[in-house]
Amino acid sequence: MRGLLALTVFGGGIAHATLAPALRIADVAPDIPLIVVVLLALRRGSEFGCIGGFAAGLLQDAAGGGLIGVQALTKALVGFGIGTLGARLRVTQPLVQVPGLVFLSVAEGLVRFALLKLFHFPAPFVELMSYVVLPQALYNGFLGAALVLALAWTEARQRDVS
Amino acid sequence: MKIRRLALLGSVIVVCLFLLTIQTRGHASRAADLLAMVTTPVQKSLAVVHRGAFGLWSIYVDWKNVRGENRRLREEIQRLRVEALAVTETAEENRRLRRLLDLRARLPLETLPGEIIAREWGGWVRSLTVNRGRGDDVRRLTAVISPDGLVGRVVDVRPGVSVVQVLTDPASTVGAHLLRTRTPGIVEGEPRGTIRFKYMARDAVGFQIGDLVVTSGLGGMFPRGIPIGRVRAIDDRGAALFSYAHLTPVVDFARIDEVLLVTGDRMQDVTAYFSRGG
Repeated sequence: MRGLLALTVFGGGIAHATLAPALRIADVAPDIPLIVVVLLALRRGSEFGCIGGFAAGLLQDAAGGGLIGVQALTKALVGFGIGTLGARLRVTQPLVQVPGLVFLSVAEGLVRFALLKLFHFPAPFVELMSYVVLPQALYNGFLGAALVLALAWTEARQRDVS
Repeated sequence: MKIRRLALLGSVIVVCLFLLTIQTRGHASRAADLLAMVTTPVQKSLAVVHRGAFGLWSIYVDWKNVRGENRRLREEIQRLRVEALAVTETAEENRRLRRLLDLRARLPLETLPGEIIAREWGGWVRSLTVNRGRGDDVRRLTAVISPDGLVGRVVDVRPGVSVVQVLTDPASTVGAHLLRTRTPGIVEGEPRGTIRFKYMARDAVGFQIGDLVVTSGLGGMFPRGIPIGRVRAIDDRGAALFSYAHLTPVVDFARIDEVLLVTGDRMQDVTAYFSRGG
């Protein structure tokens, strides 16, 4: 549990720092820690999702220089929610994964916006949604689905070999 | 279990809200300090890993670029080499043709330029095929020369081409004399691809290595004074009637590409029109 948690936080952080700039399309970068938290919360449950999301978000907050705790809270909520609902969701189909991740990203963006407003942080809603949250949500959706497919393929290969 | 999960969620929410609250109440530095204690070591580790990964990636990208550039440069070098060869070849051909045209303009003879299109170098026969034939009014036994000297004579005229028997052909004989002493003799081809000057032993006075042998003009086949070869070695046969001087041909028959066919009057002395050096 601890090892996997560290892997989530570190892996997500490293991927975000290393891959996100390289994966940037038209100034839109994916939120890799969010994708990692969602994927692992689906497999490991709500506690893991909550702590992993909190740690990964906290690291992003610290690196980003904004209000510390915002992403920690939103990602912890996403991780907890997905971990709780994971057993009831059928997430093996890309047709579910892409919209699901888009929805989660938008929801995370909305919660983040609400928190910022709550703590009187200047955040223009329309611009944020149009230029940041929605494009990133779409990107997260497709990238997350690709990752899920890649993981499923790797697992299938491992099963075939064993 | 459910209570534990809810307690965990509640704790996370409380911690986050606490952090957010102290930041908005002017204690941002405290919150940041608090967080820095936890996150700085993690961020440092991440930075190290990131830098390492990025460095590896950069090395890979550089290697790939260098490889691609290397391939491109190799192709360019190949292309430039071919171009350089073509330029050198063109320049060389230009130089040869200039020499030929210069000789043609200088000589008081009627000549026809021709290009070598084939060579027969078997040993039994040594000949060149020139791209001038019956249609160009070429006749049998026409003298063939180059800017360096005598090449041979036309032995067969066909439509479009002529076959030239070169001096080194074993059946070739040309009336000649030593330019310096005027010693008369005959230049014969040898089966091994060399030529020799056959002369009467009693005429052998003051032969020197390097002496130039030219056509004598006797018989009217070749104009007088065309360089044939230089004395390389003297084969003195003592009391024999004939002696021999081995010659180095002034013309490199293996490399010659353009020639002049002497089509008009051949009774002129052209000694002065050829360079004594070659």
